[in-house]
Amino acid sequence: MNPKYHSVRRWLMLLLLPGLLAAAQVGMAHKRLELARQHDAVQREVRSLHAEISRLTLELATLSRPERLRRLAIAELGMRPPTPMQVIRP
Amino acid sequence: MKATSDIYVRRRIEAITGLMALGFALLAIRAVDLQWLQADKLQQLAENQRQREFSISAPRGPILDTQGRVLAESIQVPSISAIANEVPQGRIADIAKALGMQKSRLVQRLRGRHGFVWLARQISPDTAKMVMALNIPGVRQEMEWRRYNPLGPATGHLLGFVGVDGRGLEGLEHSMDTQLAGLPGRMQVRRDARGVSLPGGAWLTQPRMGRQVSLYLDATIQSLAYAALAEGVRIQGAKGGSVVVMRPGDGAVLAMASWPGFNPNDFHRYRPNQWRNRAVTDVFEPGSVLKPFAVAAALETGRWRKQSRIFCENGHFRVANYVIHDDHSEGWLDMTGVLARSSNICAAKLALDVGPERLHHILEKVGLGNRTGIGLSGESPGILPPAERWGPVETATIAFGQGVAITPLQLATAFSVLVNDGMHVSPRIIRGRTHGEPYRVIPKKIARTVMKMLVHAASPEGTGVLAVPAGYRVAGKTGTAQKPDGHGSYAKGKFTAVFAGAVPADDPQLVIAVMVDEPQESIYGGKVAAPIFRHIAAAALPYLGVSPHRTNHDWRSMTVADHDSSRPETGDALPSLYRRSLREVRKLASASGYQLHVHGSGWVMRQKPVALSHMDPGAVLEVWLDD
Repeated sequence: MNPKYHSVRRWLMLLLLPGLLAAAQVGMAHKRLELARQHDAVQREVRSLHAEISRLTLELATLSRPERLRRLAIAELGMRPPTPMQVIRP
Repeated sequence: MKATSDIYVRRRIEAITGLMALGFALLAIRAVDLQWLQADKLQQLAENQRQREFSISAPRGPILDTQGRVLAESIQVPSISAIANEVPQGRIADIAKALGMQKSRLVQRLRGRHGFVWLARQISPDTAKMVMALNIPGVRQEMEWRRYNPLGPATGHLLGFVGVDGRGLEGLEHSMDTQLAGLPGRMQVRRDARGVSLPGGAWLTQPRMGRQVSLYLDATIQSLAYAALAEGVRIQGAKGGSVVVMRPGDGAVLAMASWPGFNPNDFHRYRPNQWRNRAVTDVFEPGSVLKPFAVAAALETGRWRKQSRIFCENGHFRVANYVIHDDHSEGWLDMTGVLARSSNICAAKLALDVGPERLHHILEKVGLGNRTGIGLSGESPGILPPAERWGPVETATIAFGQGVAITPLQLATAFSVLVNDGMHVSPRIIRGRTHGEPYRVIPKKIARTVMKMLVHAASPEGTGVLAVPAGYRVAGKTGTAQKPDGHGSYAKGKFTAVFAGAVPADDPQLVIAVMVDEPQESIYGGKVAAPIFRHIAAAALPYLGVSPHRTNHDWRSMTVADHDSSRPETGDALPSLYRRSLREVRKLASASGYQLHVHGSGWVMRQKPVALSHMDPGAVLEVWLDD
């Protein structure tokens, strides 16, 4: 084997290695950015779902207001408040 | 010639080299200046340019009732902001139109301002969408937390409201602000050269939602109480009123309502004097509802007994230079009669015999003149003058509720003492809050005796008969007091009508105090406040499952209300109720008009009669259930 060839290959390897590392670094940076973007999106979605839960809880509370249920029960279902003479808790 | 030329070239080379050396030297100096001398400052500038910190608000914790139902919750709503100097003048009219505002108001907000300015806060999503669709430079949409109270005016006074900055301003929102308020978070994000935020920000502090506050309040009873009070006040053409519903055993406040109400979701439409929770902030002279305590003090001396008779002076009695009158002149009355007939003169004579110290002691111990410590802001201690300042007139008049001032909450608490066999239990509305230990005020025997007397006071022979709901017995007392005019005298024609009592009288589950301010149709507690008491009790007791006929714990009975509805396919189609649930049996009995007698709970093991096919409406159906 030509010793000169060995020397050139060594130098080439030395140049190639930083190149590869640099390329990997760039790739990793892109990957990290992409993951961060996804993480942000998921966090936004979590926050949005929390807000939605609050909104729905409030809507439920508004729709199940005792005064509203009483009105609907009497007007639409023909129900009446229980009289004292009816068993309530057996 | 050549030598001259060489010298010229050499000089030029030397000059250029010198300039280059000078240039490098300047560069080196500048490098040292930038990299060393100004390093910290420049580093900071670069960081500021590259990174941005912003805060994210956290929602307030919810307020829940005793069953976990939401009474107050925060939700995110849009607000519109702007960078004032970036908004084009020509587009202000468009923004104002979309926001439904006057252009002049918007111009005023933006004029002479630089940087951030709110244009409209906590608006509807549709309005925000319309504004953002205009795509105007410098106009931004922000999300903010807004508080909503689903029960609206029914809980307005109690819960209070929250300002646009998220701080509690009134009611429980104010007194529990530290616990309810969320902790805003701070986030740091990196920005690119154009100032656009890069993903992957880091939390400096995480936002933390406020802690929830659970109450003893029951939304259903609150709603019932509010509706009954509103109706009572309307019928009487009164100025207002308050109601407190308490569970005497543990002092839990199940409802606390005042009228006129205000909607906390739209609080700025009301005047500040309409915001306060009058059940704890406003005091009134209680009138005759204090008489049971004068009677208790008299019984405690041992000189008076339940059967003791006292002469009521036929309606006129002079104490020093003051003449006390009774509405109905009475002769001799026993102690029960004093309460049932509500004689001012007899109560005054008892108080004069008992003496100011003892009467003051009992009134103070039942909670008058001191804040209850329930945890609501603006609570008044009421007015109970010190015993040293009581002359004979004061002693006599305080016995029937003149010269002292109490809150509706204090009244309910005081009556709970009689219900709890003489033990004082502090009222409570916030779960988890520590309260004072119960303590004895009145001997058990005397408390029970007074309770029995109060049953008579709420019977046809007493003044409080209109407080009694069908099927239950009430132990209560009416009160009618003239209102002070603020100048040391009483206002003509202005009265406070009161009723306080416990129901059912045999095993009290509720103590209800009702106060109606300046009723017009009638002035008497028995005619004004007692019906409100009855409406609340009649609705709340069945809701709580308190049966009117409880002779023992194993026997439950009821009469099913007759229905006009057609009978279901019973009889042959349903020969036996064996293994049926009570719910099914109740449904069947209700639909068929049977009177149902139930033994035990669980599933039906036995029934009488065995066959249902020959039963007529109104017949008695008896079932035994397996626990």
